[in-house]
Amino acid sequence: MLKTNQISPEENKKAFTSIRKKEVNERQNLNVRYHIEDFNVNDRPQRFLEAFAAILKHSNYKMALDHFIRMSAKCSRCATTCQVYQATGDPKDIPCYRTELLLSVYRRHFTMGGLLKGRLSGSGFLTDEKIQEMAESFWNCTACRRCSLECPSGIDHGLITHLGRYILSEIGIAPRALVVSTREQLEGTTGNTSAIPVPALKDTLEFLEDDMFEEKNVKIKFPIDVENTDYVFFPAVSDFLMEAESLMGIAAVFKATGDSWTTGTGYFDGINYGLFYSDRMLERVVKKVDAETKRLKGKNILIGECGHASRSAKYFIPTYCGGKDALPVINIMEYTYKVWKEGRLKFDPDVVTEKVAYHDPCNIARQRWIIEKPRELLKAFCKNYVEMTPNRENNICCGGGGGTVSIDEIRPYRTTVGGKLKADQIRKSGCSILVAPCANCKKQLRELVEDQKIDCQVVGLHDLIYKAIIFDESKVVQQKLPEGKV
Amino acid sequence: MEDLLKLLTGPVFRLCFAIMLLGLLRIFFLDIWSAYSAYRKAGDKTMPWKLIFSRSMEWIFPAKRIAHNRPFYSVFSVLFHIGLLIVPLFLFAHVQLWKESLGFGWITLPYQWAYILTISTIVFAVALFIGRLLNKSSSFISRKQDYLWPLILLVPFVTGFVCAHLSVNPKIYQSFMLMHVLSADLIFILIPFTKIAHCVLMPLSQFVCTIAWKFPPETDDAVCSTLNKKGAKV
Repeated sequence: MLKTNQISPEENKKAFTSIRKKEVNERQNLNVRYHIEDFNVNDRPQRFLEAFAAILKHSNYKMALDHFIRMSAKCSRCATTCQVYQATGDPKDIPCYRTELLLSVYRRHFTMGGLLKGRLSGSGFLTDEKIQEMAESFWNCTACRRCSLECPSGIDHGLITHLGRYILSEIGIAPRALVVSTREQLEGTTGNTSAIPVPALKDTLEFLEDDMFEEKNVKIKFPIDVENTDYVFFPAVSDFLMEAESLMGIAAVFKATGDSWTTGTGYFDGINYGLFYSDRMLERVVKKVDAETKRLKGKNILIGECGHASRSAKYFIPTYCGGKDALPVINIMEYTYKVWKEGRLKFDPDVVTEKVAYHDPCNIARQRWIIEKPRELLKAFCKNYVEMTPNRENNICCGGGGGTVSIDEIRPYRTTVGGKLKADQIRKSGCSILVAPCANCKKQLRELVEDQKIDCQVVGLHDLIYKAIIFDESKVVQQKLPEGKV
Repeated sequence: MEDLLKLLTGPVFRLCFAIMLLGLLRIFFLDIWSAYSAYRKAGDKTMPWKLIFSRSMEWIFPAKRIAHNRPFYSVFSVLFHIGLLIVPLFLFAHVQLWKESLGFGWITLPYQWAYILTISTIVFAVALFIGRLLNKSSSFISRKQDYLWPLILLVPFVTGFVCAHLSVNPKIYQSFMLMHVLSADLIFILIPFTKIAHCVLMPLSQFVCTIAWKFPPETDDAVCSTLNKKGAKV
């Protein structure tokens, strides 16, 4: 098992220094490292318990909590797996300890035994101090769920982190970065987390089309608002600002296959921070994706290179939008692999000669969803492909998972603590190109290689596909434009 | 003393065993029932059965999983569990007792294997106790019961070993046998109410966790109503 050394005291200080002002900490009665919008600090334990009760009433978490409190064996195998604990060496970062923070509240306030014991001893009440500890601990975790694979009892610590953050968010404790973005996405004028207005989106796509024509000498379109297409496309919206090559690679694949696809101007953001802090927001965002696809009468929901966007759509569109009748969701890697296997894509095997490694995004690989497909694609045109170990479902988190990558004020923590093990793994692999098909992983890994001074370029899978794809004009299929408004 | 032993291996044993059995059945079926109720509420009812099965099997027979993470602790733990399950169930003397009360028996452990497994279980129980005590992360998260269980489990194994393999005078034999039977009865009672419940719950974990991620639909409205947050901004 790959292990990393504990960080030095200087690094520890750097990672855990908070930029929050002292008066804000005092006003919010909370000492954490991420910014939070002001919230009601009165009767916080009481409101936490009310939120906990409401969530338990309308969810399936209770069953899991009952299961966990009956059988947790405290073997601490999760400790050695957790990249955060390995880096800090602080036992409070042991996944099982973090889980126990919430389980103890559940046991004390929501089980007969706990209530009786509490009454008899007059102790164990939820306190502000415990809420403080949870607020810190649940956001130290990158929700990568690697520890869950190592738990012999099968306890899903990621589920507990997810629930803990949800309850905290109901009493106002959630990173401002995520809340503000989600507010813009759900209630703002632009309707997306990066606040990109539709005219700016159209300009960007036109610009990319021009770029592609210059580079490939082929007219490649980004279809907008086309109805009745096979695929309605939802990338992480930040890709429109930061991942031009990934988008161009995706457009190039569709050009080569001729399949119909579109981006809708009604809603075009795959990002779903609800997965990281609130099931209520998760539901609202997922419904927007579904509604836009239905507005455009699309047949499939196509998610771009983004781990959490893919997981939110794949697993929660059926949950919130119709069960077995819900629209099919596929990730762009699945599509590209399928058409490549059908012989509809051609790659130049001499373009990418550098040492290339693939990083499995936790939200895609942990459940063994898409693992071999991107590898096969890369091996088809990368002369020098190497594996990082451990990999696939056992991959190591980039260090920015669970929404932490979007919290800029904790960058030192992410690149010193969260990503330390990943940095060691990248160094060990010796790769000069690291492929990460996830917007969050890409941002985190770029900051990680910069801060850890690793000579490695971080790209998306379709960035390389864009480089390697060959357009044989005689064979390029004319892109299908189904009947409908354009 | 003999009468007391008879009482403890007879009616008291049956009572303790019944408590354990009923307790375990209760939590097992409560788990299944809760999971089924949750499944009925879930918006997405597709289940990755293959993944659930393979991950469950990986932990029921953990050969694939143990070596790469805390290898000594993990291997000791597996060997400890093997002895813990096999010796009480297949020891010749135990099967004879079952035969007396149930009217039928089953295959028994050869003498040498019983000897080796008893010793190994004692050794690994001590090793696991020391491991928990000395390992920084284990000791930090351990509760009282985590330290107590290896020690409690040691009692019937040590006393049973003394009775079966060491020549001691009848009075000492009976004292050890009394401790052996008493500790076994106590263990039976404690099993359903402590972490040892994992003996029946652990195979359900992957199934339970999968369903826990299957959320019910329309919970946004429901939670908002309960918390009086209807119409509240994001």
